[in-house]
Amino acid sequence: MKRKTSLMSQQMSAQRKNMVLLAVLSLALGAAIISQAALLAEAVQRIFVERASFSSVVLLLGTLLAAMAARTLLSYGNGKIGLRMAADAKRNMRAAVLRHLTHADMPSALSGQTGGKVSIALDAVDEADSYFSQYMPRMMEAAMIPLMILAVAFFQHANTGFIMLLTAPFIPLFMILVGLKTKAKSEQKYEQLAEFSGTFLDSLQGLVTLKLFGRTRRQQQEIERSSIGYRDATMGILQIAFTNTFMLESIVMLSIGIVALELALQLLVFDSLAFHTAFFLLLLVPEYYSLLKNTGTAFHSGRTSMGAVRKVDEMLATASSRSGLADSGEGAAAKAGTQAMASKDGCRAAPAVGSALPPALELNHVRFSYAPESFEIKTGRIAIGPGEHTAIVGKSGSGKTTLLNLLSGLLHPASGEILVNGCPLVEYDEASWFKHVSYITQHPYIFAGTFAENIAIGAGRSVSRTEIEQAAEEAGLAAVAAQFEQGFDTLVGEGGRGLSGGEKQRLALARAFLKRPALILFDEPTVGLDLHTERILQRSIAALAETATMITVAHRLHTIRNADKLLFMENGAVVDSGSHEELLKRLPPYAEMVRVQRKGGMAV
Amino acid sequence: MSGLAILSKAMIQERKDIFLSILGGFIAGIAGVGLFSASGYLISQTVFAPPLYTLIVLTSLVKLLGLIRAASRYAERLYSHRATFSMLSRLRTSYFAKLIPLTPGLLNKTRSGDLLSRIVGDVESLQHYFLRVAYPPIIVVMVFLATMLFTSAFSFWMACLFVIGMLATALAVPGIVLLGQRRIHGRVRRQRALLSAEVTEVLYGFRDLKLYGQLAQREQQLQEASAALAAEQRRAAGHLLRGQLMHAFVTYLITWGVLALGAYLIQNGSLAGVFLAMLVMASLTVFEEAAAMSVLPAYKQDSEHAAGRLTETLKPPAEPAAQPCRSLSAAHAVSMELSAVSFYYEGERRPALRDISLHFPPGSKTAIVGPSGSGKSTIVDMLLKLRPPTAGEIKMGGVPLTELEETGIWQGANVVLQQGHFFRGTIRDNLLLDGDGYEDGQLTDMLAKMHLQHVSLTDRVVEKGENLSDGEKQRLALARAMLRKGRLWLLDEPTSSLDDVTEQRVMRHLFEQAADDTLLLICHRLAGLEAMDRIVVLDQGRIVETGTFAELMEQKGYLYEMKQIELQLIGEAGE
Repeated sequence: MKRKTSLMSQQMSAQRKNMVLLAVLSLALGAAIISQAALLAEAVQRIFVERASFSSVVLLLGTLLAAMAARTLLSYGNGKIGLRMAADAKRNMRAAVLRHLTHADMPSALSGQTGGKVSIALDAVDEADSYFSQYMPRMMEAAMIPLMILAVAFFQHANTGFIMLLTAPFIPLFMILVGLKTKAKSEQKYEQLAEFSGTFLDSLQGLVTLKLFGRTRRQQQEIERSSIGYRDATMGILQIAFTNTFMLESIVMLSIGIVALELALQLLVFDSLAFHTAFFLLLLVPEYYSLLKNTGTAFHSGRTSMGAVRKVDEMLATASSRSGLADSGEGAAAKAGTQAMASKDGCRAAPAVGSALPPALELNHVRFSYAPESFEIKTGRIAIGPGEHTAIVGKSGSGKTTLLNLLSGLLHPASGEILVNGCPLVEYDEASWFKHVSYITQHPYIFAGTFAENIAIGAGRSVSRTEIEQAAEEAGLAAVAAQFEQGFDTLVGEGGRGLSGGEKQRLALARAFLKRPALILFDEPTVGLDLHTERILQRSIAALAETATMITVAHRLHTIRNADKLLFMENGAVVDSGSHEELLKRLPPYAEMVRVQRKGGMAV
Repeated sequence: MSGLAILSKAMIQERKDIFLSILGGFIAGIAGVGLFSASGYLISQTVFAPPLYTLIVLTSLVKLLGLIRAASRYAERLYSHRATFSMLSRLRTSYFAKLIPLTPGLLNKTRSGDLLSRIVGDVESLQHYFLRVAYPPIIVVMVFLATMLFTSAFSFWMACLFVIGMLATALAVPGIVLLGQRRIHGRVRRQRALLSAEVTEVLYGFRDLKLYGQLAQREQQLQEASAALAAEQRRAAGHLLRGQLMHAFVTYLITWGVLALGAYLIQNGSLAGVFLAMLVMASLTVFEEAAAMSVLPAYKQDSEHAAGRLTETLKPPAEPAAQPCRSLSAAHAVSMELSAVSFYYEGERRPALRDISLHFPPGSKTAIVGPSGSGKSTIVDMLLKLRPPTAGEIKMGGVPLTELEETGIWQGANVVLQQGHFFRGTIRDNLLLDGDGYEDGQLTDMLAKMHLQHVSLTDRVVEKGENLSDGEKQRLALARAMLRKGRLWLLDEPTSSLDDVTEQRVMRHLFEQAADDTLLLICHRLAGLEAMDRIVVLDQGRIVETGTFAELMEQKGYLYEMKQIELQLIGEAGE
């Protein structure tokens, strides 16, 4: 999925119809502006110079009022179109960002600060607004109306036209010079904002720890520093913008002054100009410059928008390069798969999981590491039969959880492959694969919502209340819910009631009971829980595992003893596999682990 | 509104910049009106063929006024924005400072994504209060008054027309805008906060959502929320646009009125015709200065809402006014005493702790065990003064906790929380949270004791310590606590994610260091409890039994039953 065009040009091509409409309205607006000035000058001429009676100018005044009304309405129309364009563009861009965030793979979902990503999805996209709501309509107006005014000026009094023509280029020149600097600066502002967001969210979540360690003051200073950095970045952009406007205004003032002087000289010294024409031009000239000047301001906000859009673009681009990497990785795996296909029949492009449940798994010389310099997961050839219960054992930090992530399909091996029912895992359709997998992590995420909603997530379909309550019962969660006044309708997760570690894991179990998975992955299922909860878990897990292949990261001898096969890991490598008795005999580090457990642990 | 009171206070701190920006704005306004009036007058004068020097004086005046206007406008913008952004950065910092005493209670109530959007978005939108609500009306009124004085020199009726214009642009138009604004009322902001919170949640719960195939549905929800936000923003911006154009039309109308009235007055002979062009130009300009007024109400309401929400988050809890003044002595081990303590979480009927009385003598080693949710962690929270007990009294070193300074307690305690937080930075940063001076050698020694030899002090830690395993986090948290010099140990399941070999070794080091100190250990495993002076068994917020390990085993109560399960599990696995 290569994106050939940039986000902005995609948006622009989608807005073509609106652009035509803008152009037509701008043309009409120009006509209204010129008529207003002409009528105003005519009125003053009649009243002041010709001393016409009040009744004779009534018609003229009526027409003038109509021109003013038309001008207002046309401006309104232009503004409305701009807003419509902005709303469409923001919706589309945010849709792309959200699609990117929800379709990311695990490593990229884990990398980067959450606050920063949220800031791009909200602030950066919002900042793109002014490109469409301000910059586009102003630019369209500036492209048409000044030309119309200039034509009129030439037609009325060529000298004024020349002065206007000569001074006009200074305005875009300044804009371009300064705008280029603004662009770089505005990107810097976004970095500052993202950093500020990240620092704040991180500090907020660790506030209790910070308090206990007396670090709040320092963290406050950190926030102050990053907040001031953000202020300075903003002021940096603004200062350029203000200098920009100051220059523009000076040029405009100077130009109007020159026009006025020339007109006065013509009127007075050479007597070659009618008062009416002079006043008409004097009214038109500020309109001309103010349009050009608006362009300057709009140009600046357009630049700022572009900076923000670039950030969005960059974020989306990392996605394509990353998924490009994954693609090539998958390509290699697919190639290996094709070779395998030659020997094994029944491996089609998208194998179905449903054909053989519970599934058989096979690890085939899998290699994986998060970063080039970090430790590497290494396995040999390991087969796990359908319905088998496997325990992964090893010291903490030996890579057990990473291996589980690989088996779940959340991470893809850098080389080697994982076969499910004889077909490479990467060839399965992700969604249909996950339909058969339950992964109970150490910290299941509890979403803001009710108990019942949190359990129902497991089903992936609409489920009845009875089913939810049944699943909760099986996971030993019904008693927990019963303690709350609102039972299963109690709000939990962020913004609701906090759940203890044991309650969270039981909730994850309830989700699994709704799902009835063919493959269960447990990450240290008994860790951090008291024995009472542990008993509930053991019982529930056993019930769930009756019809499934199960792989558990375990320290508990109970779990290990019940497993059909153990994988013993050390420093990322699967050192040995076999039954409890076999490993006890031939693997001294494993025997040492069991010995300590039997002795009863913490002898002080 | 109390929210805006905060803003006023912030503004006083920047009064110099604010004064300068008002001055700049006023000069710019007057210069603008003068400039265009002068050029109108200049053109009219030419009809009468005046001497050339009048002309030269007038044109020079026009140019001078033009430059003054541009320069003072520049000054106004610079000073006002500088003042504004300084105030904003101060507000953000003080907002964070005010959040500190409200934790941990606050995070149970507010989604942290929502908080983030509040502090960034709401504070950001407060800039409009300073830039568009607070000082522009002062400038507008001053410029208007000056122009009116100027006009009244030529015609009383013209001055009246200007007054009508002023009332229309400064009161009527903003009033109409305000009426419509009431309907839109902060919907944009609510929608935005909602989207922010939902995006944050999807990012944090990404793995679970992916596994449960919920991402597509969540994306759908996000897209809908995003579309709703865009629609609301469009509606709000459309409303502002209408206000601006209404203002523009009123300006045209007044200019038209000046022309019509002028025609009548000139015919009457009560106004000299030569001033007509000048007055027309003046009216066009002065109302342009007032353009800011049409959008003022929208921004005012926006800022009030933002300020209101910021203060709402900071609503202080009903805490006793008694100012703690005594500090905890760190020189020797302290005693702790809980008498008839109960605790209720907000909005819950069931107490988390019920009538707990416990005494911890100095230097004692106590373990609290019990099922999850039995209230073990709440006791630690209360001892740390993170949550006040709903009823009963807690004493530390014989002094009621309410009279003790909390920072003193925190300094004197070595704490490991169940879910310790790790910050973006290095391992060293995370070890030395309190900034104590330690040599790198001492730090690596400590890491080695905690079986973290493979970790180097300069290793990066990402947000929330996501790149560390749970076992590594727990050992780091222990190392962090052991680098402190307190004489009170509060350990909440510090080794739950460690394998038994590592746990045993790590705890041995800890007990060596804490030999003479008061120690409270909350644990889930029953192994090693023989070494504790006393074991307290909690269930559903009540003390079920207390005693030494041997006593409780003999008693054959709750602990005995738990131990039987554990032994059975191990026995089963054993031979």
